[in-house]
Amino acid sequence: MSADPGVIGTNDDASSCKRFAVDKGYWSDPYISLFMQKLPSRKAPEISRGYYARVTSIQIIIEKFLQMTQNNCQIVSFGAGFDTLYWRLFDKGLTPKKFVEVDFEQVTTRKCHFIKSKKQLLDALTCEETDIMISKNELHSAKYHLVCANIANTAQLESKLTASGIDRSLPTLFLSECVLVYVDVEGSNKLLKWISDNFPTALFLNYEQINMTDAFGQVMIENLKARDCVLSGAAACANVNTQMDRFLNNGWSGADCLDMSTVYKCLPQSDLQRIERIEMLDERELLDQLLYHYCLAWAYKDTADLGLHTISIS
Amino acid sequence: MATAMGNENAAMEETTESMPSDPEAVSEEDKKRADEIKEEANVFFKNEDYTNAIDKYSKAIQLNPFVAAYFGNRSFAYLRTECFGYALNDASKALNLDKNYLKAYYRRASANMALGKFKLALKDFEAVTKVRPSDKDARTKYNECNKICKRIAFEKAIASDDGKCLADTIDIESLVIEANYDGPHLQDGTVTLDFANALIEAYKEQKKLPKKYVCQILVQAKKLFCEQDSLVYIDVPPKAKFTICGDIHGQYYDLLNIFQMNGKPSEENPYLFNGDFVDRGSFSVECIMTLLTYKLLYPKHFFMARGNHESLTMNQMYGFEGEVKSKYSSQLCELFTEVFNWLPLAHCINKKILVMHGGLFSNDNVTLDDISKTYRNKQPPDSGIMCELLWSDPQPQAGRAPSKRGVGVQFGPDVTARFLELNKLDYVVRSHEVKNEGYELMHGGKCITVFSAPNYCDTMGNKGAYINITGDDLTPKFTSYESVPHPNVKPMAYANPFFGLF
Repeated sequence: MSADPGVIGTNDDASSCKRFAVDKGYWSDPYISLFMQKLPSRKAPEISRGYYARVTSIQIIIEKFLQMTQNNCQIVSFGAGFDTLYWRLFDKGLTPKKFVEVDFEQVTTRKCHFIKSKKQLLDALTCEETDIMISKNELHSAKYHLVCANIANTAQLESKLTASGIDRSLPTLFLSECVLVYVDVEGSNKLLKWISDNFPTALFLNYEQINMTDAFGQVMIENLKARDCVLSGAAACANVNTQMDRFLNNGWSGADCLDMSTVYKCLPQSDLQRIERIEMLDERELLDQLLYHYCLAWAYKDTADLGLHTISIS
Repeated sequence: MATAMGNENAAMEETTESMPSDPEAVSEEDKKRADEIKEEANVFFKNEDYTNAIDKYSKAIQLNPFVAAYFGNRSFAYLRTECFGYALNDASKALNLDKNYLKAYYRRASANMALGKFKLALKDFEAVTKVRPSDKDARTKYNECNKICKRIAFEKAIASDDGKCLADTIDIESLVIEANYDGPHLQDGTVTLDFANALIEAYKEQKKLPKKYVCQILVQAKKLFCEQDSLVYIDVPPKAKFTICGDIHGQYYDLLNIFQMNGKPSEENPYLFNGDFVDRGSFSVECIMTLLTYKLLYPKHFFMARGNHESLTMNQMYGFEGEVKSKYSSQLCELFTEVFNWLPLAHCINKKILVMHGGLFSNDNVTLDDISKTYRNKQPPDSGIMCELLWSDPQPQAGRAPSKRGVGVQFGPDVTARFLELNKLDYVVRSHEVKNEGYELMHGGKCITVFSAPNYCDTMGNKGAYINITGDDLTPKFTSYESVPHPNVKPMAYANPFFGLF
């Protein structure tokens, strides 16, 4: 996968959708506004609800992992873009030993620039013993690292992770949100195998498309192609089985996958009720289709027998 | 796709025949059993299993319908599952049984707030503060709700100006056509066939109609609609063709495709567009102006019904207002609102087919005459005939249910059958819901949905459809079609087309 401008652009889209939803009150994120300015355009309510489900469910799984390992773990986020996860976790006192974000140079350069220039972002990185090292396109601090690499290039990825001080013996959570789908299946399999070979205790959390073989899925593929976003990995997004098999066939012990309609129903009801009242949705079918075509999949290797197989959305 | 939430099973109203009619008629045994079931329900509730909680509360109510707490608790469960209409009903029932049941006031107020009925919610908050004058939480809720009511009242006050409407006060003569404008011209302020044809081409190339012409068309269209009843009777002579289209939602190029497939509107080729002309799609202005142009050109052969999206709240949220502001000005938004307010609510073809955007009613006694006389020059209210015409949905099961949308009603095949019989009609055509093939027959073919926006929101991959009938053969013939390409304009800048969650 080359650094497609189309794929790189998805970060801007995701960030602006998240910013809109946060401004409307769907969830709390004091940091997104530091990376993404307010745009004049509205987003449709089904988009905000979809992002709410994504952000909330991912946070639930990650927090369970952090609690289970008592923060004595690492998080590696592929294609992190302007994700504010590290800072939101920091606010909650839930920082892992290492938090590494990986993305293309064009994205990490901009993220470095924002972090460098905003005190609120820097404050969460500062630590007495270690200096923050910021180059044009990478950042290294005591816990948080921002590196540029092409995840399809495992050698390059490996060297960046090592340079960030990743300890393969520690339980590590790997996160990818709408990332693997832009890599061809061979490439993503290679990555998943490399991780399972090298990390004896790991959880991989993957959010992306699913059920792509119907009309809605085909329209999405065409739309994205028209924007130079080729879903090279779409074959793995056919259904829950393909999403799980990619892990099970590459050295992971167990896997689970739920489409977002199911995930949506598992989210804490009282908060769901709150967000559904923020904006009135005129056509429920739009949200239903949207949720049905995205999924949350997770896979684990649990050599340390931590009980990773018990981590689930509800 | 089945809808994710909601309580399909609990949709039925309690049948009163099998329930005891007064408190004396409830046996001690039944009272005890009902209480036990209520406890089971409470456990489900605590575990956030609202569907089962509701089911159990309902069973308790069947045994003993005189306990306010059963209704109060079920109301709470309905709130949690977003069925605000049900929640409202139950809270009211609870209060009928026990007017001192404070929690029920809160439940009812919550439901009302969710439905945007802030004044009603305020009344309930006020009731609680009166009973509990020192309760801080009650006072806080009252104050917050009061703020919302005041804001709404303020906005209403600054919006209208001693009841005079823009259509009357706007000084069209002072508007000027730019010298370099090379698009279509009205003939002495009147729409002609040449204008209509030229307009279609100009809009294809995304040209803009001057504000003056837009105003003239809007003012004239408003006048036309004003003169009609809320129900318009259409007579289609034998052998003559007639076409019914559903939601268009700003998909101008798909609208043109309909004209391509089915012919442009004319006296020999009459059309009825059944609401939701604007919002969500990128070219809402082009759609509405084209449709209104044809309305003026063929007043007795071109018909337009109001949809729920021909309203302020929808236009603000789903793009039309943004598009008008961007292409013209806020003032023009007002003028569109005035025209939308006068759109007829339903049409009756050859006294046999009734066509409305949403659906049927919460009671069985509604006649065509009732519809005809409904006052419509306003924003759609949240209950009543006008609301239901624009918002209701058919359901597969018999009976009625409060709409999961929170406004309007869901009606079953028996409701449709009774309505058709009462009004001596053959079938009902409505729109309002996206369908895979662009149309769907329900209620044994007596309730037909037609939706004309293919690949809705550039995302859904659905087909659009339209219906053809002739004056002597009212059997509907359906044509389904795929979407056609359109210029890459981002609406909902106005409303972004959804490509996915990146």
